Amino acid sequence: MLKVENVHFSYGDRTVLRGVSLDVEPGEVRVILGPNGSGKSTLLRIVAGILRPDRGRVVIDGEDVTDRPPEDRRVGYVPQHPTLFPHLTVKDNITYSLRNGRGDPDQLDELVEMLELGEHLDRRPDELSGGYQSRVALARALFSDPRVLLLDEPLSDVDLAAKRDLVKRFRRALRRSDAPALYVTHDPWEAERVGDSYTVLLDGRSVDADTVDEALERLRRGAPVGEGS
Amino acid sequence: MIGRYELLSALFPPLFFLFIAFPLVALVLNLTPRGLAQAFGDPYFWSATFNTILCAAAAAVMGVATAVGFGYYHLFKRDSVIYRIADFLNDLPVALPHTVAGLALLLAFGRRYFWWLGENGLAFTLVAVTLAMFFVSYPLAARAVQAGLEEVGRDLVEVARTLGDTPAQAYARVVVPALREALLGGFLLAFSRSLSEFAAVIMFGGNLPGKTQVLASYVFTRVEAGDLEAAVAASVFCMALSLAVVALVRSLTGAGGLQRAQG
Ligand SMILES: Nc1ncnc2c1ncn2[C@@H]1O[C@H](COP(=O)(O)OP(=O)(O)OP(=O)(O)O)[C@@H](O)[C@H]1O
Ligand SMILES: [Mg+2]
Repeated sequence: MLKVENVHFSYGDRTVLRGVSLDVEPGEVRVILGPNGSGKSTLLRIVAGILRPDRGRVVIDGEDVTDRPPEDRRVGYVPQHPTLFPHLTVKDNITYSLRNGRGDPDQLDELVEMLELGEHLDRRPDELSGGYQSRVALARALFSDPRVLLLDEPLSDVDLAAKRDLVKRFRRALRRSDAPALYVTHDPWEAERVGDSYTVLLDGRSVDADTVDEALERLRRGAPVGEGS
Repeated sequence: MIGRYELLSALFPPLFFLFIAFPLVALVLNLTPRGLAQAFGDPYFWSATFNTILCAAAAAVMGVATAVGFGYYHLFKRDSVIYRIADFLNDLPVALPHTVAGLALLLAFGRRYFWWLGENGLAFTLVAVTLAMFFVSYPLAARAVQAGLEEVGRDLVEVARTLGDTPAQAYARVVVPALREALLGGFLLAFSRSLSEFAAVIMFGGNLPGKTQVLASYVFTRVEAGDLEAAVAASVFCMALSLAVVALVRSLTGAGGLQRAQG
Protein backbone atom coordinates (compact mmCIF):
# COMPACT_ATOMS: atom_id res chain seq x y z
CA MET A 1 0.00 0.00 0.00
CA LEU A 2 0.91 3.64 -0.36
CA LYS A 3 1.16 6.13 2.47
CA VAL A 4 1.90 9.81 2.08
CA GLU A 5 2.56 11.40 5.44
CA ASN A 6 2.41 15.12 6.11
CA VAL A 7 4.28 16.12 2.98
CA HIS A 8 5.43 19.71 2.54
CA PHE A 9 6.92 21.07 -0.63
CA SER A 10 8.04 24.44 -2.06
CA TYR A 11 9.45 25.47 -5.41
CA GLY A 12 11.94 28.05 -4.16
CA ASP A 13 9.81 30.40 -2.09
CA ARG A 14 6.53 29.27 -3.68
CA THR A 15 5.00 26.86 -1.18
CA VAL A 16 2.75 24.34 -2.90
CA LEU A 17 2.11 21.58 -0.37
CA ARG A 18 1.81 22.26 3.34
CA GLY A 19 0.82 19.04 5.00
CA VAL A 20 -0.57 16.47 2.58
CA SER A 21 -1.40 12.98 3.85
CA LEU A 22 -3.20 10.10 2.26
CA ASP A 23 -3.42 6.31 2.28
CA VAL A 24 -4.17 4.10 -0.68
CA GLU A 25 -4.87 0.39 -0.24
CA PRO A 26 -3.79 -2.25 -2.77
CA GLY A 27 -6.12 -2.18 -5.76
CA GLU A 28 -7.70 1.09 -4.66
CA VAL A 29 -7.91 4.01 -7.06
CA ARG A 30 -7.78 7.31 -5.21
CA VAL A 31 -8.72 10.29 -7.34
CA ILE A 32 -7.00 13.59 -6.60
CA LEU A 33 -9.09 16.66 -7.27
CA GLY A 34 -8.08 20.29 -6.95
CA PRO A 35 -7.99 23.62 -8.75
CA ASN A 36 -5.31 24.41 -11.31
CA GLY A 37 -1.99 24.93 -9.62
CA SER A 38 -3.08 23.28 -6.37
CA GLY A 39 -0.13 20.88 -6.52
CA LYS A 40 -1.66 17.68 -7.89
CA SER A 41 1.16 17.06 -10.35
CA THR A 42 3.67 18.08 -7.72
CA LEU A 43 2.28 15.46 -5.33
CA LEU A 44 2.55 12.73 -7.96
CA ARG A 45 6.10 13.73 -8.77
CA ILE A 46 6.97 13.51 -5.10
CA VAL A 47 5.54 10.00 -4.86
CA ALA A 48 7.44 9.08 -8.04
CA GLY A 49 10.68 10.34 -6.49
CA ILE A 50 11.25 13.03 -9.09
CA LEU A 51 10.86 15.71 -6.43
CA ARG A 52 11.96 15.42 -2.83
CA PRO A 53 9.60 16.70 -0.15
CA ASP A 54 10.86 19.36 2.25
CA ARG A 55 9.12 17.51 5.06
CA GLY A 56 7.10 14.34 5.43
CA ARG A 57 7.45 10.79 4.17
CA VAL A 58 6.42 8.56 1.32
CA VAL A 59 5.96 4.93 2.33
CA ILE A 60 5.39 2.12 -0.16
CA ASP A 61 4.54 -1.35 1.12
CA GLY A 62 5.73 -0.40 4.55
CA GLU A 63 9.08 0.83 3.31
CA ASP A 64 10.11 4.48 3.65
CA VAL A 65 11.18 5.47 0.13
CA THR A 66 11.44 9.22 0.75
CA ASP A 67 15.18 9.23 0.08
CA ARG A 68 15.11 6.86 -2.85
CA PRO A 69 15.54 7.94 -6.45
CA PRO A 70 12.72 7.12 -8.92
CA GLU A 71 14.57 4.14 -10.38
CA ASP A 72 14.54 2.39 -7.02
CA ARG A 73 10.86 2.87 -6.23
CA ARG A 74 9.04 0.78 -8.82
CA VAL A 75 6.25 3.23 -9.50
CA GLY A 76 4.33 3.37 -12.76
CA TYR A 77 4.01 6.98 -13.86
CA VAL A 78 1.80 8.45 -16.57
CA PRO A 79 2.67 12.17 -16.77
CA GLN A 80 0.19 14.91 -17.53
CA HIS A 81 0.77 14.71 -21.25
CA PRO A 82 1.45 11.16 -22.35
CA THR A 83 5.17 11.25 -22.82
CA LEU A 84 6.11 8.40 -25.09
CA PHE A 85 9.66 7.78 -26.21
CA PRO A 86 9.50 9.25 -29.71
CA HIS A 87 12.19 7.06 -31.27
CA LEU A 88 10.68 3.75 -30.11
CA THR A 89 7.74 1.80 -31.47
CA VAL A 90 4.63 1.27 -29.38
CA LYS A 91 5.82 -2.19 -28.47
CA ASP A 92 9.26 -0.99 -27.42
CA ASN A 93 7.67 1.80 -25.43
CA ILE A 94 5.47 -0.63 -23.52
CA THR A 95 8.26 -3.09 -22.81
CA TYR A 96 10.88 -0.44 -22.01
CA SER A 97 11.22 -1.64 -18.40
CA LEU A 98 12.51 -5.03 -19.60
CA ARG A 99 15.84 -3.30 -20.17
CA ASN A 100 16.02 -2.92 -16.42
CA GLY A 101 14.77 -6.39 -15.66
CA ARG A 102 11.24 -5.32 -14.81
CA GLY A 103 8.03 -6.70 -16.18
CA ASP A 104 7.10 -10.00 -17.69
CA PRO A 105 7.16 -10.43 -21.48
CA ASP A 106 4.13 -12.74 -21.21
CA GLN A 107 2.13 -9.83 -19.82
CA LEU A 108 2.35 -7.97 -23.09
CA ASP A 109 -0.41 -9.84 -24.88
CA GLU A 110 -2.88 -9.34 -22.10
CA LEU A 111 -2.21 -5.61 -21.89
CA VAL A 112 -2.33 -5.20 -25.63
CA GLU A 113 -5.64 -6.98 -25.79
CA MET A 114 -7.16 -5.12 -22.88
CA LEU A 115 -6.19 -1.72 -24.31
CA GLU A 116 -6.74 -2.77 -27.95
CA LEU A 117 -3.27 -1.87 -29.09
CA GLY A 118 -2.72 -4.88 -31.34
CA GLU A 119 -2.79 -3.05 -34.65
CA HIS A 120 -0.49 -0.32 -33.42
CA LEU A 121 2.43 -2.24 -31.96
CA ASP A 122 4.84 -1.34 -34.75
CA ARG A 123 3.80 2.30 -35.04
CA ARG A 124 5.72 5.28 -33.73
CA PRO A 125 4.11 7.53 -31.10
CA ASP A 126 3.68 10.46 -33.50
CA GLU A 127 1.44 8.30 -35.67
CA LEU A 128 -1.05 7.79 -32.83
CA SER A 129 -4.05 9.84 -31.74
CA GLY A 130 -4.13 11.32 -28.24
CA GLY A 131 -6.29 8.49 -26.99
CA TYR A 132 -3.93 5.81 -28.21
CA GLN A 133 -0.94 7.64 -26.81
CA SER A 134 -2.66 7.58 -23.42
CA ARG A 135 -3.30 3.87 -23.75
CA VAL A 136 0.36 3.23 -24.53
CA ALA A 137 1.48 5.38 -21.62
CA LEU A 138 -0.77 3.38 -19.29
CA ALA A 139 0.33 0.06 -20.77
CA ARG A 140 3.96 1.01 -20.32
CA ALA A 141 3.39 1.87 -16.67
CA LEU A 142 1.39 -1.30 -15.99
CA PHE A 143 3.84 -3.53 -17.81
CA SER A 144 6.67 -2.52 -15.48
CA ASP A 145 4.93 -4.32 -12.63
CA PRO A 146 4.78 -1.26 -10.38
CA ARG A 147 4.11 -1.18 -6.66
CA VAL A 148 2.23 2.11 -7.08
CA LEU A 149 0.47 3.67 -10.08
CA LEU A 150 0.45 7.41 -10.71
CA LEU A 151 -1.76 8.83 -13.42
CA ASP A 152 -1.77 12.57 -14.05
CA GLU A 153 -4.83 13.53 -16.08
CA PRO A 154 -4.21 10.58 -18.40
CA LEU A 155 -7.23 11.37 -20.53
CA SER A 156 -6.84 15.14 -20.84
CA ASP A 157 -5.73 14.88 -24.47
CA VAL A 158 -8.62 12.61 -25.43
CA ASP A 159 -11.77 13.85 -27.14
CA LEU A 160 -15.10 13.32 -25.44
CA ALA A 161 -16.37 10.56 -27.66
CA ALA A 162 -13.30 8.42 -27.07
CA LYS A 163 -13.28 9.23 -23.38
CA ARG A 164 -16.41 7.23 -22.50
CA ASP A 165 -14.87 4.07 -23.81
CA LEU A 166 -11.41 4.79 -22.46
CA VAL A 167 -12.53 5.48 -18.92
CA LYS A 168 -14.08 2.02 -18.81
CA ARG A 169 -10.96 0.42 -20.20
CA PHE A 170 -8.67 2.30 -17.85
CA ARG A 171 -10.85 1.36 -14.93
CA ARG A 172 -10.66 -2.30 -15.88
CA ALA A 173 -6.89 -2.13 -16.41
CA LEU A 174 -6.38 -0.49 -13.02
CA ARG A 175 -8.60 -3.11 -11.38
CA ARG A 176 -6.53 -5.86 -12.88
CA SER A 177 -3.41 -4.53 -11.23
CA ASP A 178 -3.44 -4.65 -7.47
CA ALA A 179 -1.12 -1.68 -7.09
CA PRO A 180 -2.60 1.29 -5.25
CA ALA A 181 -3.26 4.11 -7.70
CA LEU A 182 -3.37 7.92 -7.54
CA TYR A 183 -5.43 9.32 -10.38
CA VAL A 184 -5.57 13.06 -11.08
CA THR A 185 -8.45 14.49 -13.07
CA HIS A 186 -10.49 17.66 -13.39
CA ASP A 187 -13.51 15.86 -14.72
CA PRO A 188 -16.14 14.83 -12.09
CA TRP A 189 -17.72 12.37 -14.50
CA GLU A 190 -14.38 10.64 -15.05
CA ALA A 191 -13.59 10.84 -11.32
CA GLU A 192 -16.82 9.12 -10.40
CA ARG A 193 -16.32 6.26 -12.83
CA VAL A 194 -12.68 5.58 -12.13
CA GLY A 195 -12.32 6.31 -8.43
CA ASP A 196 -12.90 4.33 -5.26
CA SER A 197 -12.02 7.21 -2.98
CA TYR A 198 -11.18 10.87 -3.30
CA THR A 199 -8.74 13.44 -1.98
CA VAL A 200 -9.11 17.15 -2.49
CA LEU A 201 -6.07 19.43 -2.56
CA LEU A 202 -6.83 22.94 -1.40
CA ASP A 203 -4.35 25.58 -0.30
CA GLY A 204 -1.66 22.97 -0.04
CA ARG A 205 -3.61 20.68 2.30
CA SER A 206 -5.41 17.44 1.64
CA VAL A 207 -8.93 16.45 2.61
CA ASP A 208 -10.29 12.96 2.01
CA ALA A 209 -13.77 12.29 0.72
CA ASP A 210 -15.71 9.08 0.11
CA THR A 211 -17.74 10.26 -2.86
CA VAL A 212 -17.28 12.65 -5.75
CA ASP A 213 -20.14 14.80 -4.52
CA GLU A 214 -18.55 15.17 -1.15
CA ALA A 215 -15.25 16.06 -2.80
CA LEU A 216 -16.88 18.62 -5.09
CA GLU A 217 -18.70 20.11 -2.13
CA ARG A 218 -15.36 20.52 -0.38
CA LEU A 219 -13.97 22.25 -3.44
CA ARG A 220 -16.94 24.57 -3.66
CA ARG A 221 -16.74 25.56 -0.04
CA GLY A 222 -13.09 26.47 -0.48
CA ALA A 223 -10.34 26.26 2.07
CA PRO A 224 -11.02 23.79 4.85
CA VAL A 225 -11.14 25.43 8.24
CA GLY A 226 -9.35 23.78 11.11
CA GLU A 227 -8.22 20.80 9.05
CA GLY A 228 -4.85 19.61 7.88
CA SER A 229 -1.82 20.55 9.93
CA MET B 1 9.92 61.05 -48.27
CA ILE B 2 11.45 58.86 -45.61
CA GLY B 3 10.46 59.70 -42.06
CA ARG B 4 12.74 58.99 -39.14
CA TYR B 5 10.73 55.93 -38.20
CA GLU B 6 11.40 54.38 -41.56
CA LEU B 7 15.09 55.23 -41.47
CA LEU B 8 16.37 51.94 -40.14
CA SER B 9 14.32 49.77 -42.42
CA ALA B 10 15.20 51.98 -45.37
CA LEU B 11 18.89 51.69 -44.50
CA PHE B 12 18.84 47.94 -44.44
CA PRO B 13 18.94 47.15 -48.18
CA PRO B 14 21.85 49.45 -49.08
CA LEU B 15 23.87 48.46 -46.01
CA PHE B 16 23.29 44.79 -46.50
CA PHE B 17 23.80 44.65 -50.23
CA LEU B 18 26.78 46.98 -50.29
CA PHE B 19 28.77 45.55 -47.42
CA ILE B 20 27.68 41.93 -47.24
CA ALA B 21 26.45 40.78 -50.61
CA PHE B 22 28.59 42.92 -52.88
CA PRO B 23 31.97 41.60 -51.64
CA LEU B 24 30.81 38.06 -52.32
CA VAL B 25 29.73 39.09 -55.79
CA ALA B 26 33.03 40.87 -56.31
CA LEU B 27 34.81 37.63 -55.51
CA VAL B 28 32.85 35.75 -58.14
CA LEU B 29 33.25 38.58 -60.67
CA ASN B 30 37.01 38.32 -60.35
CA LEU B 31 37.08 34.63 -61.01
CA THR B 32 39.19 33.84 -64.08
CA PRO B 33 39.82 30.61 -65.98
CA ARG B 34 43.52 31.14 -65.43
CA GLY B 35 43.05 31.44 -61.69
CA LEU B 36 40.97 28.30 -61.66
CA ALA B 37 43.58 26.45 -63.68
CA GLN B 38 46.34 27.65 -61.34
CA ALA B 39 44.53 26.66 -58.18
CA PHE B 40 43.17 23.36 -59.42
CA GLY B 41 46.55 22.50 -60.90
CA ASP B 42 48.30 23.15 -57.60
CA PRO B 43 48.80 20.03 -55.44
CA TYR B 44 49.02 22.30 -52.39
CA PHE B 45 45.50 23.48 -53.11
CA TRP B 46 44.23 19.92 -53.02
CA SER B 47 46.14 19.01 -49.90
CA ALA B 48 44.76 22.16 -48.27
CA THR B 49 41.24 21.08 -49.28
CA PHE B 50 41.85 17.61 -47.96
CA ASN B 51 43.28 18.91 -44.66
CA THR B 52 40.40 21.32 -44.25
CA ILE B 53 37.70 18.73 -44.68
CA LEU B 54 39.49 16.03 -42.69
CA CYS B 55 40.34 18.23 -39.72
CA ALA B 56 36.99 20.02 -39.72
CA ALA B 57 35.16 16.70 -39.71
CA ALA B 58 37.36 15.35 -36.91
CA ALA B 59 36.90 18.56 -34.92
CA ALA B 60 33.14 18.41 -35.41
CA VAL B 61 32.98 14.77 -34.27
CA MET B 62 35.02 15.67 -31.19
CA GLY B 63 32.81 18.71 -30.67
CA VAL B 64 29.58 16.72 -30.80
CA ALA B 65 30.93 13.96 -28.57
CA THR B 66 32.05 16.51 -25.99
CA ALA B 67 28.76 18.38 -26.31
CA VAL B 68 26.79 15.19 -25.62
CA GLY B 69 28.74 14.84 -22.39
CA PHE B 70 28.09 18.48 -21.62
CA GLY B 71 24.38 17.86 -22.18
CA TYR B 72 24.39 15.32 -19.37
CA TYR B 73 25.69 17.96 -17.00
CA HIS B 74 23.16 20.42 -18.35
CA LEU B 75 20.35 18.03 -17.57
CA PHE B 76 21.42 16.41 -14.31
CA LYS B 77 24.26 18.41 -12.77
CA ARG B 78 23.33 21.99 -13.36
CA ASP B 79 24.44 23.01 -9.90
CA SER B 80 27.86 21.44 -10.21
CA VAL B 81 30.98 23.56 -10.43
CA ILE B 82 31.98 21.68 -13.57
CA TYR B 83 28.78 22.65 -15.32
CA ARG B 84 28.98 26.28 -14.28
CA ILE B 85 32.52 26.65 -15.50
CA ALA B 86 31.78 24.86 -18.77
CA ASP B 87 28.64 26.86 -19.41
CA PHE B 88 30.43 30.13 -18.74
CA LEU B 89 33.41 29.23 -20.91
CA ASN B 90 31.17 28.25 -23.81
CA ASP B 91 30.80 31.91 -24.65
CA LEU B 92 34.49 32.61 -24.43
CA PRO B 93 35.72 31.49 -27.86
CA VAL B 94 33.18 33.80 -29.47
CA ALA B 95 34.59 36.80 -27.64
CA LEU B 96 38.25 35.81 -27.60
CA PRO B 97 40.44 36.82 -30.56
CA HIS B 98 41.31 33.57 -32.22
CA THR B 99 44.97 34.47 -32.35
CA VAL B 100 44.81 34.39 -28.57
CA ALA B 101 43.14 31.00 -28.68
CA GLY B 102 45.87 29.74 -31.01
CA LEU B 103 48.60 31.07 -28.75
CA ALA B 104 46.95 29.47 -25.73
CA LEU B 105 46.89 26.13 -27.52
CA LEU B 106 50.49 26.56 -28.60
CA LEU B 107 51.58 27.18 -25.03
CA ALA B 108 49.52 24.30 -23.67
CA PHE B 109 50.36 21.64 -26.23
CA GLY B 110 53.61 22.93 -27.70
CA ARG B 111 57.13 22.25 -26.65
CA ARG B 112 56.76 23.45 -23.08
CA TYR B 113 54.64 20.57 -21.74
CA PHE B 114 54.59 18.17 -24.65
CA TRP B 115 58.27 18.13 -25.65
CA TRP B 116 58.19 14.35 -25.24
CA LEU B 117 55.86 14.08 -28.24
CA GLY B 118 58.31 15.69 -30.64
CA GLU B 119 60.34 18.77 -31.20
CA ASN B 120 57.32 21.09 -31.15
CA GLY B 121 54.99 19.01 -29.05
CA LEU B 122 51.72 18.73 -30.91
CA ALA B 123 52.19 22.05 -32.65
CA PHE B 124 52.36 22.31 -36.44
CA THR B 125 50.69 18.98 -37.11
CA LEU B 126 47.23 18.08 -38.38
CA VAL B 127 46.37 17.14 -34.81
CA ALA B 128 47.09 20.74 -33.87
CA VAL B 129 44.91 21.97 -36.74
CA THR B 130 42.10 19.74 -35.50
CA LEU B 131 42.48 20.88 -31.90
CA ALA B 132 42.44 24.51 -32.97
CA MET B 133 39.23 23.92 -34.91
CA PHE B 134 37.77 21.99 -31.98
CA PHE B 135 38.57 24.80 -29.58
CA VAL B 136 36.67 27.38 -31.60
CA SER B 137 33.81 25.19 -32.79
CA TYR B 138 32.93 23.07 -29.77
CA PRO B 139 30.85 25.82 -28.15
CA LEU B 140 28.52 25.78 -31.15
CA ALA B 141 27.92 22.06 -30.74
CA ALA B 142 27.36 22.55 -27.01
CA ARG B 143 24.83 25.32 -27.65
CA ALA B 144 23.05 23.16 -30.21
CA VAL B 145 22.75 20.35 -27.65
CA GLN B 146 21.52 22.80 -25.02
CA ALA B 147 18.87 24.14 -27.40
CA GLY B 148 17.85 20.60 -28.32
CA LEU B 149 17.50 19.66 -24.66
CA GLU B 150 15.00 22.45 -24.13
CA GLU B 151 12.74 20.68 -26.57
CA VAL B 152 13.21 17.10 -25.43
CA GLY B 153 11.55 17.85 -22.12
CA ARG B 154 12.34 16.50 -18.72
CA ASP B 155 9.23 14.32 -18.76
CA LEU B 156 10.94 11.75 -20.96
CA VAL B 157 13.76 11.37 -18.49
CA GLU B 158 11.41 11.22 -15.54
CA VAL B 159 9.33 8.45 -17.08
CA ALA B 160 12.44 6.51 -18.03
CA ARG B 161 13.66 6.75 -14.47
CA THR B 162 10.40 5.45 -13.02
CA LEU B 163 10.90 2.52 -15.39
CA GLY B 164 14.23 1.80 -13.72
CA ASP B 165 16.79 3.87 -15.62
CA THR B 166 19.59 5.64 -13.79
CA PRO B 167 20.16 9.20 -15.01
CA ALA B 168 23.00 8.01 -17.24
CA GLN B 169 20.89 5.21 -18.71
CA ALA B 170 17.95 7.53 -19.35
CA TYR B 171 20.30 9.99 -21.01
CA ALA B 172 21.86 7.41 -23.32
CA ARG B 173 18.68 5.49 -24.12
CA VAL B 174 16.12 8.23 -24.38
CA VAL B 175 17.62 11.70 -24.54
CA VAL B 176 20.45 11.17 -27.00
CA PRO B 177 18.20 9.43 -29.57
CA ALA B 178 15.66 12.22 -29.19
CA LEU B 179 18.46 14.73 -29.79
CA ARG B 180 19.35 13.28 -33.17
CA GLU B 181 18.47 16.40 -35.12
CA ALA B 182 20.16 18.71 -32.68
CA LEU B 183 23.29 16.57 -32.87
CA LEU B 184 23.31 16.65 -36.65
CA GLY B 185 22.77 20.40 -36.56
CA GLY B 186 25.55 20.75 -34.01
CA PHE B 187 27.86 18.68 -36.15
CA LEU B 188 27.26 20.85 -39.21
CA LEU B 189 27.62 24.06 -37.23
CA ALA B 190 30.88 22.90 -35.73
CA PHE B 191 32.02 21.67 -39.13
CA SER B 192 31.28 24.96 -40.87
CA ARG B 193 32.89 26.95 -38.08
CA SER B 194 35.96 24.76 -38.40
CA LEU B 195 36.10 25.20 -42.17
CA SER B 196 36.29 28.94 -41.71
CA GLU B 197 38.87 29.05 -38.93
CA PHE B 198 42.11 30.79 -39.79
CA ALA B 199 43.78 32.53 -36.88
CA ALA B 200 43.81 29.74 -34.31
CA VAL B 201 44.79 27.20 -36.94
CA ILE B 202 47.71 29.24 -38.20
CA MET B 203 49.00 30.01 -34.69
CA PHE B 204 48.95 26.45 -33.47
CA GLY B 205 48.92 24.33 -36.61
CA GLY B 206 51.09 26.56 -38.71
CA ASN B 207 50.80 27.13 -42.42
CA LEU B 208 53.00 24.44 -43.90
CA PRO B 209 52.00 23.88 -47.53
CA GLY B 210 51.19 20.26 -48.13
CA LYS B 211 51.33 19.53 -44.42
CA THR B 212 49.15 21.69 -42.21
CA GLN B 213 47.90 24.25 -44.66
CA VAL B 214 44.11 24.56 -44.86
CA LEU B 215 42.02 26.43 -47.42
CA ALA B 216 41.86 29.58 -45.32
CA SER B 217 45.61 29.72 -44.98
CA TYR B 218 46.11 28.68 -48.61
CA VAL B 219 44.15 31.75 -49.74
CA PHE B 220 46.22 33.90 -47.41
CA THR B 221 49.47 32.48 -48.78
CA ARG B 222 48.44 32.99 -52.41
CA VAL B 223 47.53 36.61 -51.74
CA GLU B 224 50.84 37.18 -49.95
CA ALA B 225 52.67 35.73 -52.94
CA GLY B 226 50.80 38.05 -55.30
CA ASP B 227 48.88 35.18 -56.93
CA LEU B 228 45.61 37.02 -56.78
CA GLU B 229 43.86 34.98 -59.45
CA ALA B 230 44.61 31.67 -57.79
CA ALA B 231 43.59 33.18 -54.46
CA VAL B 232 40.26 34.23 -55.93
CA ALA B 233 39.65 30.79 -57.41
CA ALA B 234 40.43 29.09 -54.10
CA SER B 235 38.21 31.58 -52.31
CA VAL B 236 35.25 30.94 -54.59
CA PHE B 237 35.75 27.21 -54.07
CA CYS B 238 35.81 27.80 -50.32
CA MET B 239 32.70 29.94 -50.51
CA ALA B 240 30.85 27.25 -52.45
CA LEU B 241 31.84 24.69 -49.82
CA SER B 242 30.65 26.95 -47.01
CA LEU B 243 27.40 27.79 -48.76
CA ALA B 244 26.69 24.11 -49.26
CA VAL B 245 27.15 23.45 -45.55
CA VAL B 246 25.07 26.48 -44.59
CA ALA B 247 22.31 25.35 -46.93
CA LEU B 248 22.40 21.92 -45.35
CA VAL B 249 22.21 23.40 -41.86
CA ARG B 250 19.25 25.55 -42.83
CA SER B 251 17.38 22.69 -44.40
CA LEU B 252 17.84 20.72 -41.18
CA THR B 253 17.34 23.33 -38.49
CA GLY B 254 15.03 25.72 -40.31
CA ALA B 255 15.94 29.23 -41.40
CA GLY B 256 18.46 31.07 -39.27
CA GLY B 257 20.01 27.91 -37.88
CA LEU B 258 23.58 29.17 -37.69
CA GLN B 259 22.73 32.42 -35.96
CA ARG B 260 20.34 30.79 -33.53
CA ALA B 261 22.90 28.35 -32.31
CA GLN B 262 25.59 31.03 -32.14
CA GLY B 263 23.47 33.49 -30.15
N1 LIG C 1 9.18 23.54 -11.78
C1 LIG C 1 8.45 24.46 -11.14
N2 LIG C 1 9.04 25.57 -10.64
C2 LIG C 1 8.33 26.51 -9.99
N3 LIG C 1 7.01 26.45 -9.79
C3 LIG C 1 6.36 25.37 -10.26
C4 LIG C 1 7.05 24.33 -10.96
N4 LIG C 1 6.14 23.40 -11.31
C5 LIG C 1 4.96 23.83 -10.85
N5 LIG C 1 5.09 25.00 -10.21
C6 LIG C 1 4.02 25.77 -9.55
O1 LIG C 1 3.55 24.99 -8.48
C7 LIG C 1 2.14 25.06 -8.40
C8 LIG C 1 1.55 23.66 -8.46
O2 LIG C 1 1.83 23.10 -9.72
P1 LIG C 1 1.25 21.70 -10.15
O3 LIG C 1 1.68 21.47 -11.55
O4 LIG C 1 1.61 20.68 -9.15
O5 LIG C 1 -0.32 22.00 -10.09
P2 LIG C 1 -1.52 21.09 -10.62
O6 LIG C 1 -2.46 20.96 -9.50
O7 LIG C 1 -1.00 19.85 -11.24
O8 LIG C 1 -2.15 22.04 -11.73
P3 LIG C 1 -2.92 21.64 -13.09
O9 LIG C 1 -4.32 21.31 -12.68
O10 LIG C 1 -2.87 22.89 -13.88
O11 LIG C 1 -2.20 20.50 -13.71
C9 LIG C 1 1.68 25.94 -9.55
O12 LIG C 1 1.46 27.22 -9.05
C10 LIG C 1 2.83 25.96 -10.48
O13 LIG C 1 2.90 27.20 -11.14
MG1 LIG D 1 -1.01 19.06 -13.11
